[in-house]
Amino acid sequence: MIVCVHLPRFELVIAAGGPRALAGRAVALAPLPVWSRSAAPPAKSEGSAADAALQAACPGGRVGEVSGAAEARGVVRGMLLGEALARCPDLVLAPADPVRVTEAWEAAISALESIGAAVEPARAGLAYFQAEDLRGLYGGDGATIAAARRALGRPARVGAGPTRFYALAAAVAVRSRRPLVLDGKDAQRWLARRPIGLLGFRAETEALLEPLDRLGVRTLGELARLSRGALADRFGRAGVLAHRLACGEDDPLRPRRVRERLEETLEVGDASSGPALERVLGVLVDRLLARRERRGRTLRAVTLSARLLSGGGWRERVVFRQALCDRERIALALSLRLRMLPAPASALGLGVERFGPVAGEQRALLDEARAVRAARLREAVAQVRAVAGVDAALRAVCVDVDSRVPERRVMLAPLADR
Amino acid sequence: MRRALNLPRPARVRATAAGVPVEVDGRTVELVRESWMVEDRWWTERPLRRRYWEVLSTSGRNMVVFHDLGAGAAAGWFAQGA
Repeated sequence: MIVCVHLPRFELVIAAGGPRALAGRAVALAPLPVWSRSAAPPAKSEGSAADAALQAACPGGRVGEVSGAAEARGVVRGMLLGEALARCPDLVLAPADPVRVTEAWEAAISALESIGAAVEPARAGLAYFQAEDLRGLYGGDGATIAAARRALGRPARVGAGPTRFYALAAAVAVRSRRPLVLDGKDAQRWLARRPIGLLGFRAETEALLEPLDRLGVRTLGELARLSRGALADRFGRAGVLAHRLACGEDDPLRPRRVRERLEETLEVGDASSGPALERVLGVLVDRLLARRERRGRTLRAVTLSARLLSGGGWRERVVFRQALCDRERIALALSLRLRMLPAPASALGLGVERFGPVAGEQRALLDEARAVRAARLREAVAQVRAVAGVDAALRAVCVDVDSRVPERRVMLAPLADR
Repeated sequence: MRRALNLPRPARVRATAAGVPVEVDGRTVELVRESWMVEDRWWTERPLRRRYWEVLSTSGRNMVVFHDLGAGAAAGWFAQGA
């Protein structure tokens, strides 16, 4: 049994400053603005002048999550900013705040992990975990869900089902604090009646919503009745996945690996941009490298974040070409990213996302070409994984090379780290 | 986690009445190099029955396609490196 925890409009609630800020107000998450170098961002206000400036700074931008009141006025997520303001002139645009969203979401995931759950975070506000693993601790699925709710400490919609997609459909459908648990043969019939809008929760199938809607496909049952081959022909891999989901099939859960967090933050004061901000960055790098928890390890991937003076935040993930612990090289690589900062900052943060091997490894007396090649390969694999995920580097294993069926000859298997 | 390499992918194939492919994914077939039959797992409830065709397109591209002769949802044409 897989449990889905859904915190609706998570990014918007964080950006607006809490759920009460959304009550009865038409609010939408604005895309991150790109202010021109000559023009300063407007002062933080909710007036139409600020919205107009924001609109000018986001040509072709689309609004993010929207409040219930905005939805009632015809504004939906992904709508062009100009169209949203035309439909709802008093729409308040909340600047996106990826930094606070990441912090709040990390706190929520850690809370779920604190009950012993192996959590797969899908996106901010949506996470899954396996309930069977916790039955020994809590006695049953109901008690496990109750423990998860207590740990979260905030209202959440919870659904459970045999696969991730069932659990998601249940969590989206539920309207009360009681979880909806799908099981047995009725679950498939129940899923068939759900709208295809559920496919929008998966990045791979999100783009299919519009064409399916134009084709008159309204429910997952209607989608499931189409031929999988025809969907593959029309939409490729995304069509096959959508059909699998509509039929109740899904991939197994892939919980995240618990990682060590190391982070440094500084209020920048007057040094909100330019060379002064780069000096602040240098201080942050020094502090991070001086942390005892680093234990001499190099840095492979870091996250550079900033709170903006105009409100909102900015966050950029940086993967180094080579694992580093040299202060100058790290600062040089990060200063290039710092120039992408969309507005003057009030605080700057630097966190380690992934560590590399320990620096200062002693070299062999004699060069051993084989060992060097193996080390280079390990390094390459680690870099590829840091950029594209664990499955980016796999090992081909010959299972039955003489098989007459080609797909049975070679399998892809995980590659050991060392 | 383990997954197979070289999985069949759906292909758009136009074939003659005898089942010989004449066009694969919009490419006209110039020559049929070889054809063979694969039957396996006939002792199970999901037997595998495929007619493979190795063809050469007019642009010089070598392609391997098969016609899944099994009953059910999987029936149809697929491309696959042999």
